[in-house]
Amino acid sequence: MKKEIFILLIKRIFSSVLVLFLLISFLFFLLRLSPGDPSLKYFSPDLSPQLAAKIRESFNLDKSLINQYSSFLLNLTRGNFGISFTYRIPVFSVIMDFLPFTLLFSITSFIIQLVLGFFLASLSIKKINGKLDKAISQISLIIYAAPTFVIGVLLVLIFSSSLNILPSSGLSSFENNSYPLIPKLMDNLSHLIMPLITLSLGGTAVFYKYLRDNFENVYNRTFITYLRSYGIPEKNIYKQNVIPNAINPLISIAGVELGILFSGALITEVIFGLPGMGRLTINAILSRDYPLIIGTTFVSGVLVIITNLVADILKVKLDKRLIKGLLN
Amino acid sequence: MQILKKINFFGYIVFILLIVILQSCSNNFNKHPNAIIIGISSDIESTNPLFSYTVNEGDISELLYMSLIQYKWDEKSGELIDEPMLAKDWSWNSDSSSVTLDLRNDVYWSDGVQFTAEDVVFSFDLYSDPIVQSSRYGTFKTFEADTTLHIDINRTFEVESPFKLRINFKKNIPPDLIDLTVPLIPKHIFQNIDRKNLITIEKQIKPVTDGPFYLAEWQKNQAIILKSNERSFLHKPSGAKEIIFKVVPDYLSRITQLREGEIDLTEDIKTEDLKQLSGKKYLQLMPIKGREYDYLAWNNIDPESYKKDNKIVPNKIFGDEKVREALTYAINRNEILHEFLKDQGELAVGPIAPIFKNAIDTLLKPLQFNPKKAAKILADEGWQDINKTGVLEKNGMKFSFSLFIPSGNPLREFAATIIKNDLKEIGVDVKIETLEPQVFFERMFKHEFDAWMAGWSVAIPLDMKSYWYSDLKKTPMNFSCYQNKNADKIIMKIDSEKNKNIKNHLYKELEQIIYKDNPVTFLYWINNNVMYNKRIKDIKISPLGAVYHAWNWTLNN
Repeated sequence: MKKEIFILLIKRIFSSVLVLFLLISFLFFLLRLSPGDPSLKYFSPDLSPQLAAKIRESFNLDKSLINQYSSFLLNLTRGNFGISFTYRIPVFSVIMDFLPFTLLFSITSFIIQLVLGFFLASLSIKKINGKLDKAISQISLIIYAAPTFVIGVLLVLIFSSSLNILPSSGLSSFENNSYPLIPKLMDNLSHLIMPLITLSLGGTAVFYKYLRDNFENVYNRTFITYLRSYGIPEKNIYKQNVIPNAINPLISIAGVELGILFSGALITEVIFGLPGMGRLTINAILSRDYPLIIGTTFVSGVLVIITNLVADILKVKLDKRLIKGLLN
Repeated sequence: MQILKKINFFGYIVFILLIVILQSCSNNFNKHPNAIIIGISSDIESTNPLFSYTVNEGDISELLYMSLIQYKWDEKSGELIDEPMLAKDWSWNSDSSSVTLDLRNDVYWSDGVQFTAEDVVFSFDLYSDPIVQSSRYGTFKTFEADTTLHIDINRTFEVESPFKLRINFKKNIPPDLIDLTVPLIPKHIFQNIDRKNLITIEKQIKPVTDGPFYLAEWQKNQAIILKSNERSFLHKPSGAKEIIFKVVPDYLSRITQLREGEIDLTEDIKTEDLKQLSGKKYLQLMPIKGREYDYLAWNNIDPESYKKDNKIVPNKIFGDEKVREALTYAINRNEILHEFLKDQGELAVGPIAPIFKNAIDTLLKPLQFNPKKAAKILADEGWQDINKTGVLEKNGMKFSFSLFIPSGNPLREFAATIIKNDLKEIGVDVKIETLEPQVFFERMFKHEFDAWMAGWSVAIPLDMKSYWYSDLKKTPMNFSCYQNKNADKIIMKIDSEKNKNIKNHLYKELEQIIYKDNPVTFLYWINNNVMYNKRIKDIKISPLGAVYHAWNWTLNN
C-alpha cells in the first residue's frame, strides 16, 4: 500500500508540475495580449507623462513578447517570479505578506465548517424529518441562499454598530503590538469572530446538507438493517459503519472547498479589511500587475493540487479499493 | 443524552467566545483621545516621498518629510501663496533667474544627523534621475536639465555654506518656487545605495525623517501609525499625538466607522449618504470643490486615420465645432447635477475651475439646456432627418455613435442614460458601451473612441499645455485631440509669462477660445465630500487636499 501511495505521489507531482507550467505560461501570454496597460496608473495631473514611459521601460513592456517570455522563463528557473509592478518587491515577498493570514483564516474556517456541519448533521439524523431536522434544514437553506456580503454587513450592523461589542474591521487593534501575549491573542480573536462567522456559515450549510443526506442514505441501506437485526448497538453502527460510509464522498468536496478557501475569500476580506489572498489577487488583476497575478495564480494552483492530493490519500486510507482508480 | 453532551461541548466554545467578546468590549471602549484616525480605502506602497505616486502616499510623506518651501491656498485669489519651511528666507537676484535661500539650522533627521544644503542638492539630483523613477521625474521644468530630464546639478545649485544655497533657474522661463516644494530626503542614508535598485530595496531601509511626524508603525494592509515629532519646529503641543491612517477597503464599513466614531475623517463620501451622516451633530461636512470634473469627450479627429498612420483628419461627426456646440446645448446637465449629485457640484464652463478666481473668466456662462437651439444648429450644419427614421443624416451618414464609459461608476452610468435620451430628442442615436476601466483608459489614451465620458482632476498650479496643446506626441493627455493654433500660441505665452496679471489675462483668453470651440462638453465640477469629527479643530480643507498641513490640526475631546 505504501508503495502504491508513493507511486501516486510521484505521478501527481510530475503531472502537477506540467499543469502548473502550462497554466502560468498560458497566463503570461493571455495577460499581455489582453487589453490594459500597467503603466496607466502613472498618468495623473501630478505626475509627468515621461514617468509613465520610464516605468513601462522598467517593466520591460517595451520589449517583444518573446523577449519578455524568455526573461520570464530564465527567472523561473531560479525560482523567481519577478518584481511586482505595484509593490516593487519580489512577487513572493508580497505573497508572503498575505499568505500566512489566508492559510490560518482558511484552515480555521474550514475546521469550523466541518465540525459545525458534522455536529448539525448528527443532530438532524437522530430523528429524520423530525422538528429539529426540519428546522436545521430550513435555516441552513436560508444561510446557504444568503450572499456573503449580506451576512457580513448584517453582523457588522448588529455587533459593531448596534451593540458595539465587536470591532468592525481590521486584524487587530492599533495597540496590539504593545499587548502581552494573552490579551494580544484575545484582541486578534475578537477581530476574527465576525469574519470567521461570515466565511464559515455558507460552507457549514453545504457540509451539513451533504452529510445529512449521506447519513440518511447510509441508514437506508440494507446492510444497516442486517447489522441492527444482529443486535449491534445503534451507537456502534453509527460510529463504525454510518460515519465512514457517509464521510468518504464528502472528502472530495472538502478538498475542493479548502482549495477555494486558500485562493482567498474576497468578499469577507473586503468587508472586514483583512489582508488576504483574495484582495491581493483582485487588486493585482485590476492594476494589471502581471508578475503578481502569475505568482498568486501559481500559489493558488499549488494549494489546490496539494489539498486534492491530501483528499485522495485520505480517501484511499478509508477505502483501499480506490487506489487503482487513482493510479490509472 | 448524547445530544446533550454535544451541546455541552459547544456550550464551552460559546463561553470562550463570550469571554473574547467581553474582552474586546473593553478594548472597543478604549478610544484614542490623542489620535486622529483617517479612513483610507487602500494601503500605501511606500512612505518614501521619492515613490509617492498616490494621494495617500503624498499625504503621508508630507507629514514625514519637509520641503524648502510650503504652500497655502488663498481662497480669495485662488492662487498659491509660498511660505517658509526649511528655507527660512530667500532673495531673488535682479533678473529673477536665481534665488538664494537661507536654510534653518535647527533641523535634524530622526537619526540625529543635521539637515544641510547638501541634502537639498542630493534630493533634487535623485528626484530627477531617470533611473530612480521618482514621482517627480520630468516635472522640473524650470531647471536646466539634460536630454533625459536629469537636472544639471552643477549649473543649478551653488552651495555657499551648509545653510545657504543658491538655485539658478533655466533662462527665458519664469521661475517658479513650486519646484521647491519637493519633500527632501537625507543624503547620508541614500548616497551609497545603487540608484537602479532604489525602488525595489527602499522598503528595507528604515525611514529617517525630519517632518512634524515620524513613522511609528506600519501594520501592512491595516494601518500606518504616525507619531508627533516633538523636536520639529512645526510641532504643536495642542496637536494630535498620533495620526493613524486606517485601511478600510469597504466603503460601507468606512461610513459606519465614521458614524460610530471609530475613524475621524474620510473623503469621497457619496451624496446619498450625506443626509444620514449630516444628522450626526459631531460630524462636519467640508466639500473640496473644483478639483474634479466629468466631461463628455468628442474626438476632434478621425480615430481610424490616426490609428492607421497618425494622420490628423477631422472627425466625420465631431470635427465640426458647431456640432459639438449643438450637442452641449442638447444635454440637460442640470438634471444630472440635481438628480444624482444632489447639487454637490456645479456646471462646468471650461477647463479652468471656479476655484482659480483670478484666472477664470466669470463672464462666460454655461450653455443652458436648449434642445430647440441644438436642433436648429444641427439643421444649419446640414443634419436632417431625410428618411423620417428619427435619426439625423448628412451626406448619407447617420448621426449615430457609441458612447463609451468605464464600468463601476454609477454617476457615469446614470449620466449616460440621460445623455442618450436627451440626444434622441434631437435625432441623435447613441449606443452606450461600458468597458472595464483598464480597457477603457488604454483605448482612450490611444484616441480610439469617437465619443466617451470620463473625469479628470485639475492640476494646481494650472496646467493647460498638457491637455489642450495641439502636438499629440508631446501631450498624451489631450485626449480629445483638440487642435487650435490660436490656443497653442496663448498656451506658449502662458508658459513664458512672468507677470501674474498678464498670465491670468491669457488664461481668460484661452478659456474663451475653448468655450467657443467646445472640444469636449464640460459637464460639471464634482465636490469631493470630506467629513470629519468635530473634535478635530483648526482643520482647513482646501483644494490642496483633505489631509494637507495636518500638523496644524488640534484636538478638542
